[in-house]
Amino acid sequence: MATAFSVRAAGLDPADDLRSGDTLRLRFRTGFDRWIGYLLPLLFLVALLPILDVVYYISSVALPTLSVTVLTSMAPFDGSDALGVTIISTFEMVAVATALSVSFGLFGGIATAEFLPEWAAGWVRMSANLLAGTPSVIVGYFGFFALVIYLHWGLAFIAGAFTLAFFMTPYIFRTADIAFSSIPRPIREAAYGSGARPYQYILRVGTPIAIPQILTGIFLAMAIGLGETAPIVLTVAPNVVVPTGLFSHSTYLTYLIWTGYTSPPGSLPLTLAYQAAFLVVVVVVVLNVVVRVIAARYRKRLEGLYQ
Amino acid sequence: MSSAPTTAPTGAPEPLPPRTSAPPSRKAPIGRGIALPGKSLPFVLALVPAAIVVAIVATLVSATGFHNFGWGFFLPGSASNPNGVLIVIVGSFLTAVPALFLSMVLGLGIAIASTTYLPSFASKLLDPFVDLLAGIPSVVYGIWAYLVLAPILGTVINPWAVAHLSFLPGFAGLPTSPTSAGVGLPLAIIVLTLMALPITTLLIRDALRSIPRDLWESGLALGATRWEVMRRVGIRHGSRGIFSAVFLGFGRAIGETVAVAMVIGSSARFPANVYDVTNTMAAYMFETLDAALVNATLGKLLAELALVLLVITLVVNLLGRRLVTHIYAQEVPGL
Repeated sequence: MATAFSVRAAGLDPADDLRSGDTLRLRFRTGFDRWIGYLLPLLFLVALLPILDVVYYISSVALPTLSVTVLTSMAPFDGSDALGVTIISTFEMVAVATALSVSFGLFGGIATAEFLPEWAAGWVRMSANLLAGTPSVIVGYFGFFALVIYLHWGLAFIAGAFTLAFFMTPYIFRTADIAFSSIPRPIREAAYGSGARPYQYILRVGTPIAIPQILTGIFLAMAIGLGETAPIVLTVAPNVVVPTGLFSHSTYLTYLIWTGYTSPPGSLPLTLAYQAAFLVVVVVVVLNVVVRVIAARYRKRLEGLYQ
Repeated sequence: MSSAPTTAPTGAPEPLPPRTSAPPSRKAPIGRGIALPGKSLPFVLALVPAAIVVAIVATLVSATGFHNFGWGFFLPGSASNPNGVLIVIVGSFLTAVPALFLSMVLGLGIAIASTTYLPSFASKLLDPFVDLLAGIPSVVYGIWAYLVLAPILGTVINPWAVAHLSFLPGFAGLPTSPTSAGVGLPLAIIVLTLMALPITTLLIRDALRSIPRDLWESGLALGATRWEVMRRVGIRHGSRGIFSAVFLGFGRAIGETVAVAMVIGSSARFPANVYDVTNTMAAYMFETLDAALVNATLGKLLAELALVLLVITLVVNLLGRRLVTHIYAQEVPGL
């Protein structure tokens, strides 16, 4: 962090004390400080080696078996190494869930930032945080009991999409809230001061400024939805063809991983599990990187707005 | 300072008419009337996440059928619940608490390295990678741990621990995994540590980063080393964030489902030693729900277990969130 280094530049580094008063205790203290400074950064290795190995291992196993034929073949995946059905089913599921969660969360987030009094906004934000902290298996249970059983939807595509949407909603809600809360106050005052109605302010002034951050929220929610397993496995029955309607069964990329990981080496389910894991990791990492890039650019743009 | 019109000198401009409405604030937008259909619409829209939380609780309560299992819910014995859910509750804590401890130790180390010792370009480069860890789906961690880590644990680390650490209680005796060597408590703890690590690291890092600069520099000026300032001033100043990391990391660890289900061994029994297989609440719930379609009593029991887990995570999250004021939305998924 910058503080430590400005201190060093100011000549306040403890190593200077060592040169002036050379006692054993001082030697130990400064030596400890120096060595802990070499050792603690090594903990980054402990944290980052597993993730590098995950990416390396999954790609090294999956990449040799992947081909355009595998990715596009629409054959049922229970008999052949074909991912087309799963990819399209997953895409449809994520798309529907994203649309649902945006409609659940976006307007609420904007309303929280713009119209709610501070006390109410605090409670609403807390509830969104609690929803984000709810384990995926609980959300899956909710989808199972409420949608599959009580609403008689069955283990259907739409039940999975709604369950996934409940899981993704708080992220979209919170990014919309933060995006609109962080619009500089002078801009808001200028808009209202020149006679804008609230909806005019939101549509014509707020949204163009906040849209990058809202997009990051949507991308992040998509990455989270794509990686989730429990809500889908609990609420959707597997299918080997692309779902034909909202109430038909469906499959999902992470579902292939969950069903295939215990299969013997070289078997078809394990191969599919590896390939699905590779696709999921690639898409999730790409989405996360895009989120970070947009967020960094957005921060710069907001800083520019203040000048 | 009110300017009464009577004291105004002659020739002065006419004073402005007094304000008829409250001054505009951010929360009460300017404009005659509200353009949105009704003043209550923003409240209704904003209540969607709260409504989902309430619906989850209500659905689970109703799914229990208001069937009271009594203390038999926790203890073994009844026909519908031969093992007692106490086993999976114990299993949850046996995996989540050590994982939380490890990820707090690692997170503190990484956060101190990042805020205190690394040059800023290095921490700017490395911190996003740690945050990215949170984005990796748990099922990917699960398949990696099952296929890469489990053989290492089963053939190298566990036998070594049996040979050299058997003087410790619980470390004696061979691993008794029935399915494949290496799965069990240690593997679940490792996976959960990795999954809780980005959250604890991020929260501790932000807590330590918010140490006021003058506090930091006065500590150094008094002759303390960077480590001493961090240990005696920084940790204390950031204690709220560190405690919130404890709560939120625990919430993540105890709620983790699929990765644990893949590596815990899924055996409903109390572990006989530290290498043994067991099960956790979330993993047990995840694996058993299929049976609830045909067994209504089991469904009620699972709903009750889900309520137990939900209450634990809600309380833990509530405590953790009360401690930090910063809002996290986009940096780390799952937080």
